[in-house]
Parts: sequence; C-alpha cells; structure tokens
Amino acid sequence: MSFSTKEYFIKETYKSIRRNGFMSFASVSTVAVSLLVLGMFLMIFLNTNNLAQYLESQVQVSVYMQDSATDKELADVKAKLQKMPGVVKVNQVNKEQALARFKERLGDQDQLLHSLGKDNPFPNSFEVQVDSPERIKVLTPQIGQIPKVETAKFGQEVVEHLFQLTKILRFGGILLVIFLAMATLFIISNTIRLTVFARRKEVLIMKYVGATDWFIRWPFLLEGMTLGFFGAVIAFLLINSIYAALLERIHATLAFLPLLPAQPLLFYVDLFLLIAGTGIGALGSYISLRKFLRV
Amino acid sequence: MLRMNDVSKVYAGGSVALQNVNVHIEPGEFVFVVGPSGAGKSTFIKMLFREVLPTTGSIFVNGVDILSLEPKEIPFMRRQLGIIFQDYRLLPDRTVYENVAFAMQVIEAPHRKIKRQVLNVLDLVGLRHRANAYPNELSGGEQQRIAIARAIVNDPVFVIADEPTGNLDPETSWEIMEIFKEINETGTTIVMATHDKEVVDAMGKRVIAIEKGSIVRDEKEGVYGYEL
Repeated sequence: MSFSTKEYFIKETYKSIRRNGFMSFASVSTVAVSLLVLGMFLMIFLNTNNLAQYLESQVQVSVYMQDSATDKELADVKAKLQKMPGVVKVNQVNKEQALARFKERLGDQDQLLHSLGKDNPFPNSFEVQVDSPERIKVLTPQIGQIPKVETAKFGQEVVEHLFQLTKILRFGGILLVIFLAMATLFIISNTIRLTVFARRKEVLIMKYVGATDWFIRWPFLLEGMTLGFFGAVIAFLLINSIYAALLERIHATLAFLPLLPAQPLLFYVDLFLLIAGTGIGALGSYISLRKFLRV
Repeated sequence: MLRMNDVSKVYAGGSVALQNVNVHIEPGEFVFVVGPSGAGKSTFIKMLFREVLPTTGSIFVNGVDILSLEPKEIPFMRRQLGIIFQDYRLLPDRTVYENVAFAMQVIEAPHRKIKRQVLNVLDLVGLRHRANAYPNELSGGEQQRIAIARAIVNDPVFVIADEPTGNLDPETSWEIMEIFKEINETGTTIVMATHDKEVVDAMGKRVIAIEKGSIVRDEKEGVYGYEL
C-alpha cells in the first residue's frame, strides 16, 4: 500500500466520523457500556476463581473439641495429632483465646458480644497444619474419628461452593459475552451502514472505475475499528478507576479477602477490551459492507 | 475487441430484455446502439461492464470471458473500460479536479502521475480552467465533460456511454460528440447507447439497432432510422 493510499484512507475515515458525529458518538458510547459490563464481569470472575484457588491451597484443618473434654484428654488429642503422618504443626486454641480473637475481628462492633454475658460459646480447638492439600482430604475424616473431637473441617465446603460459583459465572459469562458482542456488533454495523449509505454514490463510482473491494472496504473498516477502539479506551479507563477504588475500600474493611492485585490483572483486561472493541468494530463494518459491494 | 455470443437476458419475473444477441466490435470502432425505450439498449450496455449478467451466452472483453472472472478479477477488467452515464454521477462534495483524480486514486495510481494525467484530460475536455469548481457550479454540458474526463483518465481501451447526451440541448450535445470523436481518433473503442437522431445521422458511424431484445439492424455507416 503506497503512502498516498494510506493518507487517503485516513482522511476518508476522519471525514466520515465527523460527518456522522452523533451516530459515531452513540456507537462509541454503546461499545463503552458493553465493554464496561464485560470487563467488570471478567474482573469478578477472575477474582472468584482466585479466591477459590487460594482457599484450596490452604492446608489447615480446624479441629473442634467437645465441651466435655478434660485438660488431660485435650493433651492426649494434641499428642495424637502431632504423631499423625503429614502433620507439620499443631496449635492449640482454648476457649478464651477463641473469644478474644473473635472480639478483635469484630473491632469497634464488639458490643455485639455483650448479649452473651459471661457465656463463651467458643469450643476448645486445634489448628492443624498439614504438608499438602491432597493429604488434608485423607486426614480430616481420620481426625474426626478421634474420641472427644466434635468436628474436624478444612475449607472444603467453601471451596466447593466457590468452584460451583465460578462454573455458573463462566457459563453466564459466555452468554453475557455473546449477548453484548451481538448488541455491539449490531450498533456498529448500523452506524457503518449509515456511512456507507451516505457514500453509496462514491462506492458505486469506485466499483465502476475498477477499485478493488479491499480498497473500498478499508476506510469503512478503519472507521468501525476507530469507534470500537475509543469505546474500549473509555471502558478500560472506567474499569481501572473502579477497581482501584474497590481495592482501597476492601483493604480498609475486609483486608482478609484475597483480591487480585491491580497489576498485571488490569493490563490483561485492558488489552482484552481493546482487542475486543477494535475487532468488533472491524467485523461490524465488514458485515454492513457486504451488500453494498455486490455490484 | 468486444464480443457477445448468443447472449440472452431474462429478468426475474420473466420479462425478456435480450435474446440471442451476437455482436462483434473491433478495436477502434465507434458504435451507436439505438432503439426504442425498453428495447434492451440499457441491458446491452450494462452487460459490457458486468453490471448485468446474461442468463445465457458469453461476453468477451479483449479476449477475456468476463462471466467466468473471479470476483477479485472484476476490478481489473473494469479498468480497461471508461463508463459514462446520462446523469454524470459526479461527487458533489469534490471539486472538478478531485472528481477526476478520484478515479486514479482508487486504483492506487502514483501521486505524480495523477496530477499530470488529470490536467491532461481536463485540457482535452476544455475545462482545465474550472479545475477548482464544484459540480453544482457547472452547466450540464460541463458536468458531462468532467464525467468523460474521469472515464478516460485511466486510459481505457473501451469507452462505454449510456445516453451521454440525453439531458443536453443539441448544441451542447455536439460539443460532447466532438470530444468523443477526438477520443475515438486516439484509437479508443466507443460504444454508445443514444436517442439522438441528429447525432447518429451526422456522424456516419456503425449503428446497431435493437428492438424487443433482438438486433434488427447492424450497419457499417448507419443512420438512426426511427422517426421522432
């Protein structure tokens, strides 16, 4: 492609976007909104997935004792736990420690505990560190069998729930992506159709004097891609600032929630949105041009 | 050369536009296609640049069967043709110069060649001094001259004109015909559909008459032959 041809394409694209000012604006906005929803969804999905993986990698069994267990029985259980294969460390947490921890977690909302009076509902417990997530699945039921042990659990249930959730999110996500992509495709191809319609005479003359289909197509493709690109830029700028604000909030209040750090996550999400926006723009133009090129 | 072998065209809905048309046009010829409205002239002309495809038969442009072309080969076939319409079909938002240059830009001709060639053809049609005017500032005759300039700017082998003087007064028509004559004298083949009896009779060129879809007359130095 020669320099003057490229120059011609760029000029034509610019002229056309300006000429269709309002429709161009509407297209950019639609792309932005669609990609914003898509991007947010992607962030939620990635974070849920991450949370599930994080919990799965936890190698701690919580062992809750019956209240009837005596100090000696507690010591016996502790000794037994320490001897089990794969157990790295056993940490005993008595009723008072458990209550104190809970109080700390509640922070300035600890008046909730006043209604308990002198009662302490927390049982004696052990935190058992195991050397691998595989071993934990075998050990936990064995520990549950030890006399005076009320229950033994690890994060399994939560993890399974989370994986269930990510499955639903994945499925819903695919539907959402398809739906949003179609909507965006529709609005962009509509805008380009208006452009092509306004310039159908030009297209016809180009055909008569022997311009190739690709030559005719390029300015329109560039127009669609430009609209998609700017829509994506708006969407990712919004997403970036929303996520930054969210991270800040969560750090202040729910610090234990393991959210993915902004980088490199946002870099990939932004890149994805740019490619998706530009690609949808190109495809939308291509679709609306097909009819006009059949001369 | 242009050749139609046994060409027929039946439009969807059953109306027969052409039947069993055989034509052979030699390089450098000047051919008028005449006949009553609706006789098939327009279909005949449009088939030459592949806007209308025949139902049966074959069409050769410079030895190439234009019906068997791949879609991506069609533009290159059309570059051998210069096409002129009754309604000029100029782009109103471009100047005279830009309208003519457009035909070269879109086939990606080099920048320097465009300028030289556009000024040449504007000279030929006598409108170089209006290069910066817009089409709506020009008379009908002037607009048609610009359309002719655009059609010949890429040096076509054939010029195909569909009623080019249909919207013009007799005097202006003559000026236009003088330009066509000049183009023909450089060796370019011209095929022109027309209703202009005076022009056809005075030029003394080959005349193909079409009636009800068939060629009823093909004379070397013909006349219009219809009473107005």
